[in-house]
Order: sequence, then structure tokens, then C-alpha cells
Amino acid sequence: MSGREVFEKVHDVSMKSLDHEIEMTMVLFDRGGGKRTRSLTSYSKKADPEAYKALAVFNSPPDLKNVGFLVHAHTFSDRDLWAYFPEFKRVRRIANTSQDDSFFGSDLSYDDFTGPPNLDDFKFDILKEETVDNKPCYVVEVTPKTHRKYTKYIAWVAKDLWIQLKIEYYQDKEMYRTGSFQDVRNIDGIPTPFHSEMTNKKTNHRTELTIDSIKYHTRFGDELFTQRSLERAGK
Amino acid sequence: MTLTTLLRRISLKHIRHQKMRTAMALFGVALGVAAMTSIDIVNSSVIRSLEDSINRITGRAVLQITGAESGFPEEMLEKVQKVPGVEYAVPVIETNASLATGSERSFVVLGVDVLQDSNMRDYSVTGDSSDIPDPLLFLAKPDSILLTREMAQREGISIDQKIEVQTVQGLKTFTVRGLLEPDGPAKALGGDIALMDIYAAQLAFGKNARIDRIDVSVLRGETLDSVKTRIQAALPSGYNIDTPAGRSRQIENLMGRFRKSMDVISFMALFVGMYLIYNTVSISVVQRKKEIGILRAIGATRGQIIGLFLAETVALSLIASFLGVALGWVLAKLSINAVAQTVSSMYGRSSVTGLDLSLASVLRNIATGIVASLAAAAFPAYSSTHVAPVSAIRSLAYTSNGTVLRRLQKILALSFILLAGIIIAVYKTVGVASPLRNSSMTTLAMFSLTLGVSLAAPLFLKWFIRAYRAVLAPRLGAGGRLAGLNLEKNLTRNAVAVAAVFFSISLSVSSSSMMNSARRGVMDYIDSVDNSDILITSGHPLASAGAPTIPMPLSMRQELESIPGVRSVDPFRKLFINIDGRRVLLEMIDVVTWPRNNTCTIIEGAMQDIPLIRGKDEVTVNENVAMRMGLKKGSTLVLPTPSGPRPFRVAAVIVSYASDSGVIFMDMPTYEKYWNDHVSDMFSIYVEKGRDIAAVRTAIQKRYQGTRKMFVLAALEFRQEIKKMLDRSVVMNDAVNVLTLLIAGFGIIVTLLASVLERTREIGILRSIGMQRRQVSGVVLIESALIGAAGGLLGICAGVITGWINLEGFFRIDFGPSMAYHIHYPSIATALLFAVGLSILAGLYPARRAAKTNITEALAYE
Repeated sequence: MSGREVFEKVHDVSMKSLDHEIEMTMVLFDRGGGKRTRSLTSYSKKADPEAYKALAVFNSPPDLKNVGFLVHAHTFSDRDLWAYFPEFKRVRRIANTSQDDSFFGSDLSYDDFTGPPNLDDFKFDILKEETVDNKPCYVVEVTPKTHRKYTKYIAWVAKDLWIQLKIEYYQDKEMYRTGSFQDVRNIDGIPTPFHSEMTNKKTNHRTELTIDSIKYHTRFGDELFTQRSLERAGK
Repeated sequence: MTLTTLLRRISLKHIRHQKMRTAMALFGVALGVAAMTSIDIVNSSVIRSLEDSINRITGRAVLQITGAESGFPEEMLEKVQKVPGVEYAVPVIETNASLATGSERSFVVLGVDVLQDSNMRDYSVTGDSSDIPDPLLFLAKPDSILLTREMAQREGISIDQKIEVQTVQGLKTFTVRGLLEPDGPAKALGGDIALMDIYAAQLAFGKNARIDRIDVSVLRGETLDSVKTRIQAALPSGYNIDTPAGRSRQIENLMGRFRKSMDVISFMALFVGMYLIYNTVSISVVQRKKEIGILRAIGATRGQIIGLFLAETVALSLIASFLGVALGWVLAKLSINAVAQTVSSMYGRSSVTGLDLSLASVLRNIATGIVASLAAAAFPAYSSTHVAPVSAIRSLAYTSNGTVLRRLQKILALSFILLAGIIIAVYKTVGVASPLRNSSMTTLAMFSLTLGVSLAAPLFLKWFIRAYRAVLAPRLGAGGRLAGLNLEKNLTRNAVAVAAVFFSISLSVSSSSMMNSARRGVMDYIDSVDNSDILITSGHPLASAGAPTIPMPLSMRQELESIPGVRSVDPFRKLFINIDGRRVLLEMIDVVTWPRNNTCTIIEGAMQDIPLIRGKDEVTVNENVAMRMGLKKGSTLVLPTPSGPRPFRVAAVIVSYASDSGVIFMDMPTYEKYWNDHVSDMFSIYVEKGRDIAAVRTAIQKRYQGTRKMFVLAALEFRQEIKKMLDRSVVMNDAVNVLTLLIAGFGIIVTLLASVLERTREIGILRSIGMQRRQVSGVVLIESALIGAAGGLLGICAGVITGWINLEGFFRIDFGPSMAYHIHYPSIATALLFAVGLSILAGLYPARRAAKTNITEALAYE
């Protein structure tokens, strides 16, 4: 099996999970041990052939209530992002170049938070096979063909589930960000990690993401993914 | 005989014997080169710092779009974003603020769309270039601000701390959400910069739906000019589309006047150096006449003699120029902070971190030092060849009265004076828009006149002595007659001393009269246009538009009027606008209330026309604008407003010295209507009759205590500030004047000393036939007083003329011909007294030396 074939299977699973509504809790730990907790709801809708739309709205803390993000992916590598901040009453566009930037102070990037990537933008090489949490995995080196913030990442893909259980991002030879995906549960036939953790090795900053509830195959209408809906926090 | 042999055997010996005079000449040239070098260093360091700050704040933008300084509607952003060839167009608000507590330091607030701005500038609110614990909170809350780590450390501010900041809307509280690392824009302006999200900045600084600038990057393959043309076509006229380099050029142009006055001072310093070289070589020629005669007698050619003097000059000026460069560096180091502070408060914020001196500048200044010295030495060196070998060897008294030489000097003197006249005639004849109408022309005329008069000094001295001998000498007895004869006998050498005194007195009278005219003009203008009792401003009271000020909302006018004791309040707003590539000051007043308390000089139209422009699209312009744009009463002037070009009728042409780039006056409501800007830079307060101004002032201060930081000045204090500023601007001139006077004194000492030495035998004879010591010293003192009086008279006449020339080139050119010339009579009286007094003082040492002459030794002196 080639690296590309492994990631095509990962892509298939991601595509299945695109129609969803997730309630989650995000906890940000800074290097001094400080902790910031926020809860949010994420809605997503798959569109043919490879497009999707997503909306995420913060529910807490009160300072961030109803702050939201909207994604319109025309293809997997071409998308528009908007943000809404209630105190300014303005919908604002986010630059496309920020795909690898931190998703507002968390250790996830915008890319992590949105849909699957375009496989043609990467080169895949299987390095070896290893076990993570007693699950046999392919260890695949993924190299972007275009300039990104990272020069490569190494992903541990579970052979039977076709989801990533561990990931390491490198800037040249230096590892700067790691992620782990645990508590994998099968929801409506889709393997879903209920607890994930991303750590920035440079800043010693860590983000934990826990799914509180999840619904797949939601089939939301397009009206949920408009700028107007963003302004009303998806209501 | 080679030149090196002559230099080694003759010149070195001479230099060793004349250490003091050589050192003075060295010092003179070094000072000139030092002045030029330090001005170069200071200027290029300040410009470089401004450029660096602009580049850091500009980031990857290749074009910047600006409108009126009040900002322009943000809808323009969308128009620019849609222009083909534009890669990114991002909005920017750049405004001034200051901390309300601690150091009360002022800083620049950069308001950018932080979600888009990473396309343009190298920082990220979520990346490694910043320490922002919660970027989402920073974006979500309007009170968020980011400071540079440098500023936070300096002020002792930490993350999540609340800070009080002075804004247009008064004191506001911000929360420091994070710190920017010293990179990209955070490294500009010495770290005195804060970052806000653009929408938060709009709220905080009263820029409702307006932005100050659009930064644009261009797609690959597109040319800058084609994109610029397309943007120009997409926007209404009046928008300035420039490259970041062009923006720093604009500031450079703004600083032009500053640079110009510094350049004049460095030229003056160099001129003084040239005079010293001239003096040194002239005296040298006199003293070495015997040596020259011998050299000529043993076969040295005229060319070799000239070469010897010029080679000495080159050697001395080379050493002096190197010393000058080093001294210039020291002077620049000492003055850079003061200059940077002045530039920051008057033109644009700058933070100089290091001194900038290029090799080209060093070489240029050294070359100027050498060339200027050679030019100064050329004439006396040439005159040395007219010493007849026989008369030189026989120690006959040296009088450079060769017909050829005398005629040449006269021709040169007349030519330079004529040239000055022609330059001024051309200057006054050509139109105001002509490139010949600039201060370089008047400076050239001034130097030409000064040089011409210097060369005519022997002729003048001859007339002066003739008059002295006819009128005064008979009343002073034998001593007086002898002094006149002595001066006449050594006419050329004494004329050098006269020229020295002339030069310093002329400089002093000229600058005093010019500054007196400017000072009286400005003060009379201020007195007529501002009769208020109290002035309120939130920035430096004398800052030009564009300098760090934080305007106040117009609504404050009503608040101020409600304070007990306040009779009425006039708002005042100033900003620069761009008319066909020229910056012009637009000043807003209330045309109905302002003339009730104030007046102005009207060139065309009438005072009662001014209130009538209320409600109409009419303006008044000052002489500068009228002259440069060919406007008269009734003409139409198209002004760029944020919503597009709009025609305004010229209701009157008035006198205004508010800006050297021209002034247009507009009624405040008209401005508010078209610019959608409702702020004021200053409020003039008129106090009710019988009320205590100090008490009203205290009441105003109390009213805004804790809510707004501002200067509440008694109008008297304001006028004193202006006087102080005018006085400060002539400090350097005064320093050069004092220096030239000292050098003139030194010139007199050297000349008289040389004269005394030369007349040792003659003095011995006079003493042997019964002349007393007192009488001998009296002769020398009368000689020196006569030199001072001749130089003083000549200096006063030339100074009065050059003062007028300078007023033309430095003030009337920018402020209009109505600025009257006021000769400063006290400085003339002082100058004459100083010239004679200093000359007598300078004559004391040679007089003492002459009186002490030992009769036996003197008679044996050869």
C-alpha cells in the first residue's frame, strides 16, 4: 500500500464525517499553567463534488459568546473564511494565507479546524509501521508541494480505522507541534476521537479538545451557512 | 627646486613659527567642514530613521493611498480591492495617542485589519512574533490594544493591565491583550507604537467608518505605474497615491526649510574658514616677501611661488578637513537627539537609533574644504608673484599696489557686486512659479555681494582714510595723522582686517534685520488673527499639521461655552490637502464668530466678505496660494474633498503666515459637510469682560480633569511660546555671528601685530626722536579703531541689503510679499559699537607690544 492510498482512505472517512453537529469544549493551557476554557458548537455540511460549508459558534465564556466563524470551501484548497464579533456587529473576512496560523490562540490551525485537505497538494511516503494505543498504524511522511508554515508532518494512521492517532509537525528538522487523538468511538459507523490534544513545542502551549456530543448525517440546509446566520450565531 | 623641497625647507619652517595663526586657519576650515559633516549626519540619520519607520509600518505595500488627513470613507477600500492588478489592499488607521499616566509618553496607534494584515506586514497576532495569551479575546473586545515589549518594559506595563490613553474622545481605558516582539512594525519608532484592530481603533479614535490609508501590494507581472493609473481612475480626485519611498520624500520635502537653514549656517561656517585661509595666506605673503624675493632672485618661477602657497593650503586644508569630519561626528552625536525631537514634534515622528555617515559625504566635505581653501588662497597666492624681487630683498615696505593686481581686484569686486544685482533683478522679474525663484538664488546673491564688497575693502578703506584725514586726523594730533598714514601705507593688509570686521558685522545686521522682520510680521499677524484670552490645544501648541496631535471633538465648543466666565469660543482645525501634487494647509474657522473678535489683512476683497461665505461653497486664500495658483477674488478653486473634487469661489485674498506651503480658509460647517470630520485642533476662548482670566482657565482645567489631557494656555503664554520658538530658530545664527566677530577680532590682532613687527625699526626711530610709549600705543589703538569703524560701516551697509535679500529668499517667497522689511536699528548700533570696541580691544596687545619696543634693538632690526 502506498502513502497516497493510505491517505485516500483517511480522506474517505473525513468526507463521511462532514455532515455533523458537534458540541465541544476547548481548554487552552499556557506555559505558566494558566487555563482558559471555552465551549463551542460546530456545524458542517458536505457539498458536491468536494466542497463543504462549516460554521462554528462560541457559547462561552461570556466575553466570547456568539463569536463565530464561517467557512465556504469551494474546493479542498480554495475556501473563504469569515469571522463575526458581536461587539463590533461586523462580519469580517479572514485572509486565505492564514491557513497554518493558530486558530485564535489555540494550538490548532485553521486547517485543522476546517475540512479535509486536497491530497494533490501533498506527497506521501510510508516510513514504517508502528503501534499507537495498541492500534497498528502506518507511519506516513506528508510533504506539502507548496510553501507552508511546516516543511513536513508525520502521521500515524490506524490501519483498521483510517484516522490519524498521532501527528508531528516539523519546520525543517525541528519538531514544533504534536497532536494526539484518543478515546476513539464508533459513531454511526464513523470512527471519532472524542479527546484530542495539540501541543506547541516552541511555546509550551497546549490545547485539549473534548467532544461533549456529536451528531452525524445532519443534512443542514444552506441557510445555516450564510453570513446572516453567522451574525445570529447559527440561530 | 621641487615643490616638495620648497615645502619641506620653507613652508614647514614658516608654519612652525606661525603656530597660532596656522592653528586658527586650521580651526576655521575644520569648523566649516565639521558644520557640513554634522548637518549631513544629522539630516541623513533623521531621514533614515523616518524611512526605516515608514518601511516597517508599510511592510510589503508598494503603493499607499492617502486622502485628507481627517481620513476618508472606508468604501474606497472596496473600490481599490477591485482594481485589476491589485493583489491586496488593506485599510490602515495611523493616529497619535498618549499615555495618561506614568511618562505621559505619546505613541503611534496603528489600526489594522489583523485578520487580513498578515498579507502586508510581518507579524501575526497568533504567531511567534507576539505574546498574546488570547488572540480571540483581543479581536472580540473593542478595548483591546497591543503594545511593543520595549514600550511595555519602559512603562512597567504588563499583559491584561488596563491603561488610560488620551484619544480624540477623551481619556479611554484600554486592556493590554499582549505584547509585540521587536520585529516588523513593532520595531519602528523606537517601539513607541501600539497595535489595534482597525474597527476598535475607529471606535476609540472617532473615525466612524473612515480610514487614514490603504496599503496596496501589486500582483506579479503588473507594473507599479499601470496599477497606480488604474487606482487613480477608480478613485475621486484628491487622493494621493504614492510609493512608501515617495512618502518619506514628502517628509524630506517638509524638512526642506529646516535643512535649508542648516545649510546656510554650514556655508557661513565654511565662509569664515575661507576668510581665515585668505587672511593667513595674505599675511604670509606680506611677512614672507623677503623670502619670496630671494626665491625669485635665485630662479624660482612665478608658477612655483603660487604652487608653494597653494600646496601649503592643500596640506593644511587636508588636515583641517579630516579634523572637521571627526569634529562633525562629535557635533552630530551631541545634537542628534535635540534635532530628532524637533523633527518629531514639528514634522513627523522619528526615533534615531544611530548616526548615519556615508563615505561619499565624507569625501564630498573633505573636497569642499580643500576647494574652498584653495579658492580663498588663490588671490593672495597670485598677488605674491607681483612682489618685485629687488624691493622684496631690500625690505621696502610691502604695498601691493601693482597696477595689474589693483585693477584685477577692482574688476572682480565690481563683477561680484554686479552679479548680485543681476541675480536679484532676475529673481524679482521671473514669475513665482519659475524654478529660478528659490532661496538658493538669494543665497547666491548674498554671497556674491559679500565677496564683492570684501574685495572692494581696500578701495573703501582708501576713501575712508581720506575722509578721516580730512575730518578727524587733524584733531587727534601727530598720533592721529600717523595712524592714518600707517593704514594707508599697508592698505592691502589692513583691508583684510577691515573685510573681517565687515563680514561679521554684515552677518549680524543681516540676520538681525531679517529675523526682526519675520518676528514682527508673525507677531503682528498673531496679534490680529488671535485676540483670544485662552487657548486650548491637545498637541504641541506650535505643531504643524501632521505632527503628533490628538484633535478634540467639536462638541466641546458648547461644553466650553457653558463654563461660567466664557463669553464665546472659536474652533480651529488645520490639515494639509493635496492640490495637484502640492500640499496646502486648509484652515477651518467659524467665519461668523471669528471676525467679531479678530481681524486680518485683506489683499483683495473686504473684511465684511468673510462672514458672507457661510452656507456657500466659498473660501479665502492667502497670498502664497493666490500667487502660485493664479487666483483672484472671484476665481474658482477646485478642492479635493473626500467625496470628490468640488469647486469653491475665492471670496478674498488675505495675509496669513500660518504655513509656508500656502493657506486656504474655509468655514467650519462647510468643512464638516464635505469632509464629514467633526473635530477641532484648537479652541480660542474669549473671556467675559471683568472676569479673571486665570480663574476661567482653572475652571476649564477642572472641567476636563481626569477626562481629557490638553494644554490650556493663557494667550499671552502662547505668544511667548511663539517668540521663544522664533528666538530658538536664530540661536545657531547668533552662534555663527559671535564666532565671526571673534574671528574678526583675531584678524585685527594678527594684522596689527604683523604691522607692528614690520614697523619695528620705524617705531624705534620714532621712539628715539622722543615719541613716548603712550603715544606709540595710541597710534596703534587709533589704527585698530579705524579698522573697526571702516569694517563696521561697510558691514552695516551690506548687512542692511543682505537682510532684505534673505527676507526675500527665506520668508517672502513662502509667506507673500506683504511681509514688511524692518531694519533692526538696535543691532546696527550694537554692531558699530561692538566693531569699534572689539577692534580697540584687539589692538591692545599689539599696542602694548609696540610701546614696549626697545629703541636700540629696534634701530638694529632689519
